[in-house]
Order: sequence, then C-alpha cells, then structure tokens
Amino acid sequence: MSLFNLPLFSLPNCLALSLLLVLIGSYGVFRRHSLIMILLSVEVMLNGVNLSLVSFNFFRWGTTEASHYLYMLSIGVAAVEAAVGLSMIIVLFKNYNDISRERVAHLGERP
Amino acid sequence: MPVSPVVEITFALSAALILLSSIAVVLIKNPVRATLMLILSFLPTSLVYILLQASFVGILQILVYAGAIMMLFTFVIMMINPSPKEGESPAGGSENAFSGLRGGLIGLAVVGLAGALVLPQVYHAASQVSVQPVSKPGFGELSSIAALLFEDPSNNPLTVSFELISFLILVGVIAALNFSRRKGSAPAKEDSITTRPTEALPLLKREPALDRK
Repeated sequence: MSLFNLPLFSLPNCLALSLLLVLIGSYGVFRRHSLIMILLSVEVMLNGVNLSLVSFNFFRWGTTEASHYLYMLSIGVAAVEAAVGLSMIIVLFKNYNDISRERVAHLGERP
Repeated sequence: MPVSPVVEITFALSAALILLSSIAVVLIKNPVRATLMLILSFLPTSLVYILLQASFVGILQILVYAGAIMMLFTFVIMMINPSPKEGESPAGGSENAFSGLRGGLIGLAVVGLAGALVLPQVYHAASQVSVQPVSKPGFGELSSIAALLFEDPSNNPLTVSFELISFLILVGVIAALNFSRRKGSAPAKEDSITTRPTEALPLLKREPALDRK
C-alpha cells in the first residue's frame, strides 16, 4: 500500500493534506460573500497549519513536544480571533443589517 | 519506519473525510450546515492527531475547537440569522448565475494552479527529509507535555509564554466588550454626525446664524 513509493502514513502525505486544507480554506476566503463564512474558511486554514505542525513534530523532531505547545498557542489565537471577529460581525449587523463582503467594502458610507 | 496497515487505512479514511467535509464547508450555502461540516472535519483531524501520537492535542481539538469555538460560531449564526442570499452578487438579474460560475471557475483555477505548483515541491522536499522517529518515552502524553511546559518554572521560557496566552485572551475579551458596548454615553445623536465632508458643510454654515441670536 503505497503512494509515490512511500508508505501512506508519512510526512509528505501529512504535509500534502495540510496544504490541501489551506488551499480549500483560501478558496473559501476569496469566494464567499458572508463574513461568517469567511471566518469559517479561516478556521479551515488554521486547521491545516496545525496539522502540519504536529506532523513535523512526529516525523522529524521526536525528542520534544514543541509543536503541541505551538498548537495550544494556535488555538488560543484562533479563539481570540473568532471572538473579536464575531463581535465585529454583530456590530456590523446591528448598524447595517447586512454582513456581506460588499457592504464592508463601503463601510464609511451611509446605507 | 514500518507502519501497520490499520494505521494506513485509518489515516487514508480520515484524510478523505477531512478533505470532503472541508470542501463542503466552503461550498455549502447554509451557514449552520457549514458550521456542522466544520465540526465534522474536526473529528477525523483529532483521529489523525492521535495517530501522530499527540493524544492530548486530539482531545483539545474536540473539547476546545469543536466544543467551544464552533459553539461560538453557532451562537452568532443563530443570533443574526444571515440572509439566504449568500453566494449571490448584489448586481441581481440573470447574469448572477453566470458571474458566480465564472468567479468560481477562476477561483478554482487559481487555487488549483497554486496547488499544482506547490504540491510536487512539498513531496520532493519532504521525501528528502530524513525521518527521525519518536525517541522520547511517553511522547505526547499529558504528564510529558506538563513537564515540558511547567518544569522548573523560573527558568523555563515556555511557562512565561504559555501564561502570556491568557493576556491575549484578556485583550480579546476587552475588545469584544468594547464592541458590544452601547453608545448611550456619547454626547451627540447618531443622525447629526456625518462622515462626508459635503454633508458637513451646511452644518458649519449655520453656526454664525445661531451666534447672532
């Protein structure tokens, strides 16, 4: 059971999985119109980055759990980003009754 | 490094499920279903973490990420109930579907081109990395991570930086509170303030007339 002459559960495959997650998330960031969906796509990208961190730690630097610490740091940042972003979305919805990307592009103008 | 077929099959199925549900997150129009799909993609991700001997990270992925952060998203989505027009451009009309399809194809082409350029590089570079398997006993267990973070706290830089995460979260809490604060203490009403200079000009002209009275 091999792909590209490698075992399936290997560093290149884990990195390819995380790269594909980042690409899928970036497609969502560029294509979605609602701000909430853009934040969800950012979460997908963060998930891919965390996966690459932990897989590097397992396959290459197996002497310490540095990436597990980095993962905790990353989900702390993700939680803060989600909280601040969602509260900004609530304020936008309260003021303009619209959270689309096009509305945010004209933020300084009256509706 | 020999890998058992159970691990191989579990990894392959988890990777397929992660990719499919992440694609569904990006493509589904209903925000609640997209959030549920994201939670669904986090479950096999935690399985992959457990395969990578990061069991505590896998537990954190479910408890904190799928449990807390995604619940925050669900709360906000149910609070504001986003419009069902998601995915449409504001122009309206029959060119909507065409422009949406064209934008989707362009986005797919850009992302696919980036993937086709980077993916062989990743395979080439990662194949040449000499794999050093895990040598630490108890790798990824809770006691091991706790020893890494909190052993000898006066000399350990990781302890300080780990505690600094709490300050980051505190800043986030203050920012969220500040956003949600009502502006009742503001002196002027919202209608009398304008950001356009052309609308602000007549307001300035009236001021001498008020002074004469």
